[in-house]
Amino acid sequence: MKMRRPIQVPVASWSTADLVRRLSRVLDVATQAIERLATNGYADSQDRSNTLRCEKLISETAFLLLRASKVQEHPEVRQRVIGLAARLLPHARSERMLLGVCVEPAVALDYAQAHIYLTRLGYPDAAFDEVLRQSLTSQVRSGRERPPHRVLEQEWLTRTWDGVRSSSRRSSSLAARHSMLGRPMDLLSGSRGDVYAFTHAVLYVTDINLMPQRLPRPASDILAEAEAALGRCLDDEDYDLGGEVLLAWPLLGKAWSAAAAFGFRVVADVEDRAGFLPSPSTRLQRLHELSGDERAEYLLATAYHTIYVMGLLCAAALQPGNAPPVRLPGARFPAGSSGPILQFLDADRRSGHWREEVERLTASERDAIAGLLFSVALRRKASERDFVGLRELLATGYRLGLAECPAASQAAELLDRVAAAAPMLLEARRQSQASLNSGRVGSEGRESPSADNGPAPLAGPSEDRTEHQPAAEGPVLAN
Amino acid sequence: MSHRVSHQEIVKKALDSKAVDFGAIGKVIAELGPSVALADEPWEGFCGTMRGFIRVYIVHPPVGGGPVENLAALRAATGEIQS
Repeated sequence: MKMRRPIQVPVASWSTADLVRRLSRVLDVATQAIERLATNGYADSQDRSNTLRCEKLISETAFLLLRASKVQEHPEVRQRVIGLAARLLPHARSERMLLGVCVEPAVALDYAQAHIYLTRLGYPDAAFDEVLRQSLTSQVRSGRERPPHRVLEQEWLTRTWDGVRSSSRRSSSLAARHSMLGRPMDLLSGSRGDVYAFTHAVLYVTDINLMPQRLPRPASDILAEAEAALGRCLDDEDYDLGGEVLLAWPLLGKAWSAAAAFGFRVVADVEDRAGFLPSPSTRLQRLHELSGDERAEYLLATAYHTIYVMGLLCAAALQPGNAPPVRLPGARFPAGSSGPILQFLDADRRSGHWREEVERLTASERDAIAGLLFSVALRRKASERDFVGLRELLATGYRLGLAECPAASQAAELLDRVAAAAPMLLEARRQSQASLNSGRVGSEGRESPSADNGPAPLAGPSEDRTEHQPAAEGPVLAN
Repeated sequence: MSHRVSHQEIVKKALDSKAVDFGAIGKVIAELGPSVALADEPWEGFCGTMRGFIRVYIVHPPVGGGPVENLAALRAATGEIQS
């Protein structure tokens, strides 16, 4: 099948007014969240995963504010930034925050995040700075072990606070090379935490596109993996993480790919339909059970983070030249390549908001996201442990000219490993089955301990097909 | 287009089936609990000892990975944060 060249025609960008409207709405929610939750946070007696520390809310609101402040040429945004900053200041430098900086030097920068962002916004506080300085020069300033993306966060906070400004791009740090930006992400069986680490490494290395550092790998490699990660998030309807993945394009200063532009359309449509970008944490039943302040606090505590992600995305898109295109850019995949992949996906009888958006695309737009669809299908097959299906899908993708992507090469490696392990796995299964059978025979005459306590039989057909088990959940990091 | 299920409905059906008899579980605990908690046998018991006889789980949806609620219903129920 012959590859098509990208069509070089001017593509209309997303409406600035619409992006401003969305960002303004997010800033209004942020104002509500600060008013209701910044003093005491939120404690959920029924579901502890909803519990919110006020430090987290304050820091994340200040981060949103910093990002929004870069597009203050829009009066609606400027007015809200000024109002929100005024509300945030007392919380950013509260007694609680000051004590945290003072007593726990190893996390002083974490407590001081909002103070640092507000300082950068033009709201300094010399006395708070002095306490922070003492903490950061204490013996125990580095007395906490952190994963690479959290090291990057500390480096970024230090640069932001120091006010170090250099016109030259710095070399990538050791932490950046050790982060998900410096090495290929596991796109088939990696955890949500891996994608989270990836998105946050992008935020800190790019300095939210204000003073970017040098990337440890080519941006094209990083964005190819971002596309696969985006597919995963859309398929899981994980808009919190999906929105953060989408930030990679504007923050790296690269043009929106067709897949990324499609992702933006999906989250914008979901936001329009729900009135805000939702996460699974906000449950309708709880909303109906609660009333008054309790209800408002529950709603804000469970919804604010994903709402903020949409605000960050719109603020990034409002930077000159960063708006996503209205129509998906020309196909880089062969005409008709999306159809067979959609057949694979539809056979799963799973659907989601992204699938509804596909229906609204033109045929050429569908082909433009064939690579994204292919990566979604590959991950589904891998997570179902359907290696026969994975091989079939991979062969189809290769035939369609879609296999030049990291998810495909990882899938090929996976199949190689499965082939190497198969003889041992089959032998183990055979022995297990034999042991079970002998136990059954023994139990006819007498009680056999193996019948009750022996290894569980491996279910499934006798053909050479590995049992379909969902992948074990890896560690999950809260956002 | 969407194939969605109501988790509440599934839970209700499971409860209605009486597959789990909460009353009977409570009765056993009431009968045996005091004596087992005071028993001398090591490694056994109900309260804070090495073996638990009954576990009650709250099954959380995976963080970030569960389904979001119906979008139109969310819009209707969240007027506070709609502009």
